[in-house]
Amino acid sequence: MNVEPDSDDSQFHTTRWSLVAAAGNSERAREALGELAQAYSFPLYAFARRLGVPAHDAEDAVQSFFARLIATNDLAHVVEGHGRFRSFLRVALKNHVANLRARERAEKRGGGRVRLGIDLADAEERFVADRVDPGAAPEEVFERDWALAVLARAMARLEAEYRGSGRSPVFDALRPHLQGELDPGQAARQLGLEPGAIRVAAHRLRQRLRAALEAEIRDTVGGPECVSAELDELFRALAAPDSGREV
Amino acid sequence: MTAPVTCPRCGAPIQPVSGAGDLCARCVLSAAREVPGPGDTGHRPPPPAQAELAEHFPAYEIGALLGQGATGAVYRARHRALGLERALKVIGLDVAARPGFAERFEREARTLAGLVHQNIVAIHDAGRAGPWFFLAMDLVEGADLRQMIRAARIAPREALAIVGQMCDALQFAHDKGVVHRDIKPENVLVDRSGRVHVLDFGLARLIDPDVEALTRSGAVVGTPLYMAPEQWRSPLEVDHRADIFSLGVVFYELLTGELPVGRFPPPSHCVQLDVRLDKVVLKTLEREPERRYQKVSDVKTDVQHVEAGRKPRAARHTPPSILGSTRPTWMDPTLKAFVILVLALNVLAVIAFLFYVF
Repeated sequence: MNVEPDSDDSQFHTTRWSLVAAAGNSERAREALGELAQAYSFPLYAFARRLGVPAHDAEDAVQSFFARLIATNDLAHVVEGHGRFRSFLRVALKNHVANLRARERAEKRGGGRVRLGIDLADAEERFVADRVDPGAAPEEVFERDWALAVLARAMARLEAEYRGSGRSPVFDALRPHLQGELDPGQAARQLGLEPGAIRVAAHRLRQRLRAALEAEIRDTVGGPECVSAELDELFRALAAPDSGREV
Repeated sequence: MTAPVTCPRCGAPIQPVSGAGDLCARCVLSAAREVPGPGDTGHRPPPPAQAELAEHFPAYEIGALLGQGATGAVYRARHRALGLERALKVIGLDVAARPGFAERFEREARTLAGLVHQNIVAIHDAGRAGPWFFLAMDLVEGADLRQMIRAARIAPREALAIVGQMCDALQFAHDKGVVHRDIKPENVLVDRSGRVHVLDFGLARLIDPDVEALTRSGAVVGTPLYMAPEQWRSPLEVDHRADIFSLGVVFYELLTGELPVGRFPPPSHCVQLDVRLDKVVLKTLEREPERRYQKVSDVKTDVQHVEAGRKPRAARHTPPSILGSTRPTWMDPTLKAFVILVLALNVLAVIAFLFYVF
């Protein structure tokens, strides 16, 4: 039966994104959206900042953006077309920011009167610390930030999987191998295993990261058939903003 | 503005992975894209749909997919005539397409069918149905050790009971000349009454004996962390003592929740348990097969000794290798002195003989 651990994250499960759509304007939808909103709040925050929203308004802009999404039930039409959460949010936030500018500050604060309680405590600090080429388009940087957020969540998932099953030493020793094939010598000495075993264990670690990435991505796309294409787009997004100029 | 750090691998400025600042996000994502994924993008073909199997298995009513591993997919299946629930393992087409598979399958299936033991998942039927090679096995309602280790800390007493039954299963197979080769928590099921069922005997060999090829193809059989060192050095020449090592890894993990890698502490340093167990566990984990237990039933005997408050045999000193013994035996000092004397005389006799000849 050789069932591998964690093979239960099957491609057939309901994605959070499709749950949001199916549940419409309900408590369930709000919960599912709230979770996604928290996960990807930083890319949106930084995007709002790059669109010119000042620091003291950016958090409100993100909060009211999600509140409005729930209040207006906009999500329902979007998801019908198997849309991607990422591109939808990028366009919708841009519109939202434009609308906010046209309104009074007080009204903006009120928004949909529903707050999802997204924690953006360190967002401004991260935004300032991020040394992005000032010439890069905000959309481009948003895509990169999104890719980094997906990767960070997948890494956290992977780490929890290894630590939770008593494989902390393996995870710690093989982490650098997530970047690709490395000389197994150091890890072999650290773990007291044969180099062949290290190569296989490192390959397995990369496979598990791949599985974690796919699980993350499934939550943000309309269907399992989009996972591979989204992964490719995330990779391109990471390559773009900085290195595009360097090369 | 300081210049961004350049990644030595991809040459682009490092975009750090948040929470793991030393890793280059671009390289990590690139490496992850190169390995097969579990979902729609993986190289591993998706498991066949129940409807697809139904036409080839008229005797069975194919139920839910129970799991998918390196060799294939397992379905719950009800034998229509007998009304019995079975686990139907359907070998992946990619695996079955490997050279020599059909012969290996027939040979191994025959051997496995002979393994009838209360702690081994029994094989009831095997063969080929349409394009599918299959094995119909006992359906065990319970959890595997991986799920149990994850769910909660396993009490030492429970761990000893599990290991004892694993020893029974392995000894039975070893007596018939069958080596498991892939003992790991996922391959050990415990049913609701606490009975252990070891599964997938010999399947590792069924797939492909060439570990290097497996490594390259990514279709790794088993988890390397449970494999004995000699399985890496010479995968074609391993014997039953490789199973004893893997059993030791599982034993250690059951007791401590950790894997014995690197300079690992004896189990009693991690959890409160009889220190005499340390010797037993460490002896199963010896890197050299000659220094391990030579029979898996001896592991069980020693575990029982500890449970009964006696010293395990492993705790008694290992005989000097000059005696050529492969297992620790106890000798009283007089006998030992006598043996050493006889050996010394032998050596002298050989030297004298050599002098005489040359």
